[in-house]
Amino acid sequence: MSDAYQWQLAGRCYKLGHNVPHPGGVVPNRIIVGRHFDAKDIIPHLFEETDPGFHTRCKPGDIIVTGKNFGMGPKMNGYIAMQALGLGLVCESMPFLAWRAAIGCGLRVMTDCVNATELCETGDELEVDFRNGFFINHTRDIRREYPPIPDSLLELVELGGNTGWLKQWHQSRNAPQP
Amino acid sequence: MTTQQTAVEKVLALKSGKASVRPGEVVHPDPDFIMIHDGVVMGAKRELDALGITRLAAPDKVLMVTDHDVIYGSARAAERGAYNREAARVWGVKNFFDVGRGGHGHIFPMECGLLLPGMFYFDNDRHATNAGAIGAFGFRMGTEISRVLATGTNWVVVPKSVKLTIRGRLQPGVHARDLGFHIAAQIESGALTEDLDYRVLEYAGDLDQFNLAQRAALCSSPTEMRAYGVFVPPSEAILAHARAQAKIPFTPVYADPGARYEAQLEIDVSGLEPQIATPGGVQNAVNLSAVAGTRVSHAFLGSCGSGMWEDMVDACNILKDRRIASHLRLFVAPGSEATMKRLARENLLQTFIEAGAVMLPPGCGPCNDAVIGPVHSGEASISTAANNNAGRFGARDAQLYLGSPATVAASAVAGEITDPRHLQ
Repeated sequence: MSDAYQWQLAGRCYKLGHNVPHPGGVVPNRIIVGRHFDAKDIIPHLFEETDPGFHTRCKPGDIIVTGKNFGMGPKMNGYIAMQALGLGLVCESMPFLAWRAAIGCGLRVMTDCVNATELCETGDELEVDFRNGFFINHTRDIRREYPPIPDSLLELVELGGNTGWLKQWHQSRNAPQP
Repeated sequence: MTTQQTAVEKVLALKSGKASVRPGEVVHPDPDFIMIHDGVVMGAKRELDALGITRLAAPDKVLMVTDHDVIYGSARAAERGAYNREAARVWGVKNFFDVGRGGHGHIFPMECGLLLPGMFYFDNDRHATNAGAIGAFGFRMGTEISRVLATGTNWVVVPKSVKLTIRGRLQPGVHARDLGFHIAAQIESGALTEDLDYRVLEYAGDLDQFNLAQRAALCSSPTEMRAYGVFVPPSEAILAHARAQAKIPFTPVYADPGARYEAQLEIDVSGLEPQIATPGGVQNAVNLSAVAGTRVSHAFLGSCGSGMWEDMVDACNILKDRRIASHLRLFVAPGSEATMKRLARENLLQTFIEAGAVMLPPGCGPCNDAVIGPVHSGEASISTAANNNAGRFGARDAQLYLGSPATVAASAVAGEITDPRHLQ
């Protein structure tokens, strides 16, 4: 793994509640059923139905903090956009396959972050290290430690998710042997 | 003392070359085989081709099945079929079950000895949980099946296990599918456990009463409640079936007596009545009597949950010498070619046809985006489909009810939801 990869994100908090469904809550359902997997096609529609123009206001390093059961299913479209925008995701809980989909998109994501939504409000200055699980709210001077991305999956996230990982795997196999 | 493990922990440890594994641990199991169905071959191959990956890690382990759109409901499906055929050739996949071969990927491998107790496999589809019926595990990979095809494995987080002990025997006329719906409702209400998300539900207790088809039924509803695996420890009868069909040696796996579960639950099934899952999900199960008399005009028998030989026999026992209601259409999709042949051999095909049923090719039937036999707006349907989420097989505002194979047959005869015990 390269030392250059940024496991630590620092930016503003964007807080959401419990049970945000991927269709409608994260991206419009038409993006999902239309099978849009290209980040540039999805980005303008991220949180479109609840917060139009979100993508023009967020900045790389901003961190989405959600309540329980975020995503409510194994869809991946929204995570592709979040990853491409350089955002991080911290959830009180996600269905396992939603978390797996997010990891597979190369998103910096932590789940099982107990009571995370009680520790911050939208606009707070947050700092989160996804490799060691540190969650810091500078605005409120709160610090917590949450379950980080498992060590064995760091490479997958760093390479941008499944496609990047497979590309690297294939190239390394085809590289000339020393 | 060796570590005491649940069934899934033992299988994953074995396939990962480890003495033991713990829930939450990431492993890379070496699967016994890799399944991919007709609907997703194109996506996986295009993804791999774009990366320059043209050779599979283990083509001999790959099972390509054709069950989602068997008879090509559209020109696009025919094009996809041609693509799949070429993919099998280019990839060198010998176990390619083309149109009219094999049947439902979550049924025929258990019947013919390709899937055996103690095995582990990767699948693109979440109904791979059916493997639990024979005492094996199939894990859903979704689009990540491409990584499995390319590399031979993928990362797996060892799931937590929940143990559910069955006490008592089902009454005559009550089916394991009824029990499955009831379990889903009990989970939904919080009476059994709050959440099956990414858990393995391991059954225990009075299980000898359940044959292979009923075990598949027991795997179905927990899957809809987000279980990642279901495990029914194989009985002597299941082992005898597996031994008779097996072409290779196998070793069944059972949980250790001191295995640790996230929760240990019990359910007494002796007083259970036939259940109906009312529209919206398997968890909306009620006693059949609560909705008896509801008019239905569409009926379907089949799917991964209820497509085996014994399911067909249950339905035929009701349909024999009877006709389905004149306003109703009944579709029957046996789970496998073997079952279709046996239906013909034992004159049960005649029973279905004389009753007025339409036979569909072995596979998923309408229970896959309604490529065949859909419902239309405002209609009510009774079926054994995997689930009855809105729009599962046709119009989103259609009313989809689920019941056991016998309930579907009885309701098809009466044209309204009917207790099969009244016709037996």
